[in-house]
Amino acid sequence: MKTGMPLNRFLLALYRSSLRLYPWHLRLLYQDQLLQTARDAHADSNSNLYFWSSLFADLLKSTVKEHLLMIREQVLARPILFHALIFGLILTLMGGSAAGTFQQMLRRGANQPQIQMAASYAAEIESGVKPEQAIPHNDIDLERSLEPFAIFYNDQGMPTTSNGHLNQSIPSPPRGVFNYLRIHDTDTVTWQPQPSVRIAAVIRRVCGPNPGFILAGRSLRMVEEQETLFWRMVFLGWFLLVFLLVAGAALLSRRFQHRIPTPATGLR
Amino acid sequence: MSVDDISATDIYSECMSDTGTPAAKNLPPLSPAVFAILLALAGGEKHGYAIMKEAAEPAGGAIKLGPGTLYGTIDRMIRDQLVEETGFTDDARRRYYRITDLGHRIFAAELFRIENIVRAARSKALPKGARA
Repeated sequence: MKTGMPLNRFLLALYRSSLRLYPWHLRLLYQDQLLQTARDAHADSNSNLYFWSSLFADLLKSTVKEHLLMIREQVLARPILFHALIFGLILTLMGGSAAGTFQQMLRRGANQPQIQMAASYAAEIESGVKPEQAIPHNDIDLERSLEPFAIFYNDQGMPTTSNGHLNQSIPSPPRGVFNYLRIHDTDTVTWQPQPSVRIAAVIRRVCGPNPGFILAGRSLRMVEEQETLFWRMVFLGWFLLVFLLVAGAALLSRRFQHRIPTPATGLR
Repeated sequence: MSVDDISATDIYSECMSDTGTPAAKNLPPLSPAVFAILLALAGGEKHGYAIMKEAAEPAGGAIKLGPGTLYGTIDRMIRDQLVEETGFTDDARRRYYRITDLGHRIFAAELFRIENIVRAARSKALPKGARA
């Protein structure tokens, strides 16, 4: 090897370090030979640039190939386990999609009857009924009650009438909600007026003689408890399924290990 | 079926025929790298770099094998019992390889297959009486 040049020494050291990219068994068996062959080839080469670029290109190409072949061999050595894992992955994706859809349906279900309430109150107020007459007079504590409630905000976004209270006052959603409703008719949001209180709220723009916004809301406590229980059951079911699949496949793999012929991999 | 999908024993039985001629009919083609290595070793024992050099010659297949490709292929060929280490070494870093009996048979089967293709191609491509 033309070891006189520091660049060559550096590139050879880099090549030696890069041999770690190969699967360990190949490195263990052929590291010295790989290095010696590289040295021999370099000694015979006419172009430094061509030699090193083709050597590192070969390193990258063969590294990827060897790893892919190693994975293929491992998969072919345990086909039952591999198929079980693929099956488990498909079931996980399908089950995950179904569970996600169900959770969305559960959450959207929490917007009833607020959608209907907001529409009715808005229609009444737009027809000339005063907000304090349209909204019922019962008093609902937002922190404790699961009952639906309604709040009317004037055109400036200030609460004027409500049958729902939180800490003896009427809470207001962020200003952005009202700004959005000046362009759109309705908005459906999850509103958290304080850390322990989460509300499924439907807000509508009200026009007519008493312009403003009507908010109909309901506590999400029960729905979120149902969601938590649902996800626990989903996770438990998934864990049991994957455990049974992998354990069953591992047992079957062991039992049929000697019946599956080992494939040859060498001719490609 | 690819060669990758059958075991060395299967290949061996495929290559053996009752008449002793290579039964190449059902054997898939060898890759250029495997063919070049078998061709180089058919001429005698060689170490890795000598195989590389011979494979790069026009008569050796003109295949540019880098060290990684060479030893990866040799490793699989050893596992498939097509080549083996001789045990001889003139340097701890230069090991010699030779072709096995199975390797010879596979190589002969491949040559037989190529000869048939070349013969068929010539009969189509060249006018009657013409010589290649």
